Amino acid sequence: MDSLLRTFADQTINGLVIGNIYAFIAVGLALIFGVGNLINFAHGSIFMVGAYVGWVCVTWWGLPLFTAFLVTTLVCALLGVIIERFALYPLRSAPPIAPLLATIGVSFMIDQAVQIIFTPNPQAFPNPLLAYRFQVGGVTVGAIDLLIAGIGVATAAALYLFLRFTQWGWALRATAQDREAAQQMGVDVVAVNRMTFAIASALGGIAGLLVGMYFNTVYPTMSFQATLKGFAAVVLGGLGNVPGAVLGGLLLGLIESYGVAIFGATYRNLFAFVILIAVLVWRPNGIFTNQRRTAPEPLTGTFIARSRPVHIPAWAIAALTVAALALPFFAPNPYLLQILTNAWLLGMVALSVTLVTGTAGQTSLGQAGFMAIGAYASALLTQRLGWPFELSLLASALVSAVIGVLLVLPAFRLRAVYIAIATLAIGEIVNQVILNWDSLTNGAMGITNIAPPSLFGWQAIRPHEIYWFTLVLLILAALVQHRLVRSPLGRTWRALREDEVAAQAFGIDLNRYKTLVFAVAAFIAGLSGAVTGHMYSYISHETFTNTTSILVLTMVILGGMGNLLGAIVGAVALTALPELFRGLADYRYLIYGLTLLLLIRFRPQGLLGTD
Amino acid sequence: MNTASLARTNGQNAASTNPLLELKDIDTAYGPIQVHFGVNLHVNAGEIVCLLGGNASGKSTTMKIILGLVRPRAGAVRFDGRVINGLTTPQIVRLGIGSVPESRRIFAQMTVRENLLMGAYHRRDRHAVAEDYERMLALFPRLKERLQQRGGTLSGGEQQMLAIGRALMGRPRLICMDEPTMGLSPLYVDRVLALIQQINTQGYTIFMVEQNANLALQIAHRGYVLQNGRIVMEGQADALLNDPEIQDAYLGEGVS
Amino acid sequence: MESVQRATRPLLEIKQVSRAFDGVLAVDDVSFGIDEGETVSVIGPNGAGKTTLFNLITGVDQPTAGEIFFDGAPLAGLPAHAYARLGMARTFQHGRVFGNLSVLDNVLLGAHSRRQVVRSRAPVVNLLRELAYGLLQPGSVKQEEAALRAEAEEILAQFGERLTPRLHQPAYSLSYANRRRVEIARALMLRPRLLLLDEPTAGMNPAETQEMLDFIATLKARGQTILLIEHKLTLVMQLSDRVVVMDDGRKITEGAPEVVRHDPQVIEAYLGHRHHPPANAAQDDEPVVQPATRLTIDPAAGVL
Repeated sequence: MDSLLRTFADQTINGLVIGNIYAFIAVGLALIFGVGNLINFAHGSIFMVGAYVGWVCVTWWGLPLFTAFLVTTLVCALLGVIIERFALYPLRSAPPIAPLLATIGVSFMIDQAVQIIFTPNPQAFPNPLLAYRFQVGGVTVGAIDLLIAGIGVATAAALYLFLRFTQWGWALRATAQDREAAQQMGVDVVAVNRMTFAIASALGGIAGLLVGMYFNTVYPTMSFQATLKGFAAVVLGGLGNVPGAVLGGLLLGLIESYGVAIFGATYRNLFAFVILIAVLVWRPNGIFTNQRRTAPEPLTGTFIARSRPVHIPAWAIAALTVAALALPFFAPNPYLLQILTNAWLLGMVALSVTLVTGTAGQTSLGQAGFMAIGAYASALLTQRLGWPFELSLLASALVSAVIGVLLVLPAFRLRAVYIAIATLAIGEIVNQVILNWDSLTNGAMGITNIAPPSLFGWQAIRPHEIYWFTLVLLILAALVQHRLVRSPLGRTWRALREDEVAAQAFGIDLNRYKTLVFAVAAFIAGLSGAVTGHMYSYISHETFTNTTSILVLTMVILGGMGNLLGAIVGAVALTALPELFRGLADYRYLIYGLTLLLLIRFRPQGLLGTD
Repeated sequence: MNTASLARTNGQNAASTNPLLELKDIDTAYGPIQVHFGVNLHVNAGEIVCLLGGNASGKSTTMKIILGLVRPRAGAVRFDGRVINGLTTPQIVRLGIGSVPESRRIFAQMTVRENLLMGAYHRRDRHAVAEDYERMLALFPRLKERLQQRGGTLSGGEQQMLAIGRALMGRPRLICMDEPTMGLSPLYVDRVLALIQQINTQGYTIFMVEQNANLALQIAHRGYVLQNGRIVMEGQADALLNDPEIQDAYLGEGVS
Repeated sequence: MESVQRATRPLLEIKQVSRAFDGVLAVDDVSFGIDEGETVSVIGPNGAGKTTLFNLITGVDQPTAGEIFFDGAPLAGLPAHAYARLGMARTFQHGRVFGNLSVLDNVLLGAHSRRQVVRSRAPVVNLLRELAYGLLQPGSVKQEEAALRAEAEEILAQFGERLTPRLHQPAYSLSYANRRRVEIARALMLRPRLLLLDEPTAGMNPAETQEMLDFIATLKARGQTILLIEHKLTLVMQLSDRVVVMDDGRKITEGAPEVVRHDPQVIEAYLGHRHHPPANAAQDDEPVVQPATRLTIDPAAGVL
């Protein structure tokens, strides 16, 4: 009994310390959301940069801890200002999803840049405080715990004093509460926005440094997890609510800590995303306020620029299709065919995203989750139940459609930016469930020896065979989708995208058509995932990540939202080009990020125009 | 200039002095929807001028143009002889145009005290700000009782008083009021109108947008009537108040 | 003032409906009815509660008290998308067309609730059927689509040369007046038993207003039941069988247009209530401005 109590106390301290760090991240996100109404996906990247700057200060330059904190704060604040000035300020009158996507592009670029400079490998971060530990009433407390708690309290106090008693603090609060009224008081809201980025980024950087010290390691992929944890904490506390973000961060830390103690360490990340979805759906103003639900987003939420699709004559599309089918005869280069095979598979996913996001206006950042469901379903059906590939392929796509719809169903009432976060979390949840459901999915080991794709005895093993197989599937998917979006059903989906209120007034049952569109999209994405699994013969919870989801969304924006040919062109461009120009392969995410950023700024309608 | 500007001016001698605010040939459009068609109006120092008009006549957009929140497609806005369209809102505020926005726009999470002092945000003369703050407390005893209360918890009428006090804290040379009596109880409508009249007699120039013509014209010196983006009537308040045509302007254009 | 006792049941009946926002009544105990074939206008100045009432009738919002009946059945609890199936079609005050869709598609969407596959009610099967119909497009679907399309073009042709040359243009490229016309065409495509028009001429110039007026008059002549929400009183004079006047959330009067037009109550509602200081001063428990502490700020010296 005593040991149980001590474990509880230890987990509480542990949870509060981690929660303190989440609170740092969350406060930054909440400030930026409050002032600029922006969900900043680059926040985790700044956090990660903070960790690396601190690491460089301590291990390379041997600076004292205090100086390391100072340098980290300044570098990250500056980085925040640069991001605001060059990536976001130019988009100030664009629809709200545009700056959100821009921050995703920025985060890709920062993450890759750090990987190039410091390698993708984790770096050991020797704790400069050594391992001072002492017992307080039977509970172990480390010096680092105290440092984190101390910095947390000091920063919260400083922030409170700043917001409460300084001219700039007042300007920040006034801008967050009513931007237009603040302007009419003479507040320069552009400067306030930039200052907010500086403060938020400095807080994020400090959090990164603390995490590096706490876990004695820094690595580039810590960025995206931090962003998501921060979102969960912010949503828990109420979007844009700074004290709520602090409480949300602490609460999330505690929940995780107790959850890990009860269920095991691999469950750590699941809690955050389940909480994120649950709160978004049931308490969109956070758990600390009793307000009614958030005002609906303005109807400009979907990222569909006003343009008409570029007209490509049918004969040109037919000629391209024939050329693609005939390619293995003229260029039997296995490397080329492999790359294009990847492009066809991602092209299918891009089709599904362009349907759900472009045609029906439901921004999806969780499409890789549907791929994973399809891949696991097919791998398990063939291996465990001995189903033939042809049958399991279809069945797994259906499974993906059904589970996909059930997962997204609670989020149907969300709009625009919120549905994007919800789908992102859903993608994460799928991966976390795969990781933890050992008996079914083989957990972290993944599934090996998956049979290659086959059709009635013919096996697609060699590069040109699998090339044809995937290309034909892509063509079929495109034809099916083309027919659907040109039917009355497609028209109804578009109406949903354009104006939900007007659509309802004319009898369109929103849930019914969201169900249909997510079902079709998850079916196609599941199909692609299943084939991917059979092609690689190995899948794990790391095969289909949210990076894939975001990459596919970038492809769709590149080609033009809702544009079928555009989706495929986008997939080929972003899959093949970095590979074909060999030297660029190492910089691919830098290129993806830059592409996204430039597209949103200069050609939001994409290469072939929106449809 | 100073004493002269404090005297009530009328339309006749307005031509001889430079107006404090002048809108010249303003055209405005939101996308394909044109809101203003060649709007001309002016406000002389010391006056209360009201801009009247029914629903969707373009009244509020006029206010937004003066404050730099919306850019006109053509025409010029002059304040004290200087062209101000093209300046940002904070720049315009610093030139001396204060605003009592439509539906008050109190900072709901800030205290009454903070709201008042936000009105002086652009001022650097701390000492004078402190003095003005004391004056506001004397002027609005109701607010003085609620200094630490959040702005959002005040009643509509109290919020309107706070919004006016907040604007006065900026020591503006012109106060723009957008529908200051909208949504208020009759008691507060009277208080607000009396207050507007009183601050005007103390030298403040006021340009107000109002739906309620009967009320606005009782305290204004001059008025303009905007209909479908055009100024269709203008003149002395008394004359407008008794002009039967104003009814037509309000009830709809002559289609019958 | 009370309307004559009707023998038949009204098509739309609003019974003592109120809607409160944070204790403030935006619509306060409003009752009236619309008979089949009638054109009724609800007018009133800005802030009178017209739009709130309209939202209550169209299911965008729910009343806090009272009930609304359509064809004798209560509307309470119906989801927003169920109203179309009952035969209620509406337009929006600021012209909510589907911007990136063509004019023709916009109008075709008006017939959504009439389409065969949408009307059937089997839950899951129906989803699959709609998907299959979209994919396979069997003869019945093609015929229905062709018939609806012909009907849509016919409705659009009623606007003369305004819209027919622009059938395939996206709605966002249209002029404001044309968008309003598309909205009305979309609503007519529902074959509504009740057509609800929310300020159909807002933002239109006099010539366009006159044209819209003539169009609505034609609909009325055909026997269309219309509820018109309007701000401009003169506009509704020619169109309405009855006029309901609202002010401050309440119905202040109801009657024939000529009577309402000259009702001093109505004129006062529009131009604003006259100032009655004595009555209010009696309740005034504190002076508006403390005379002893007049402002002594010199505005000319004030700035910077």
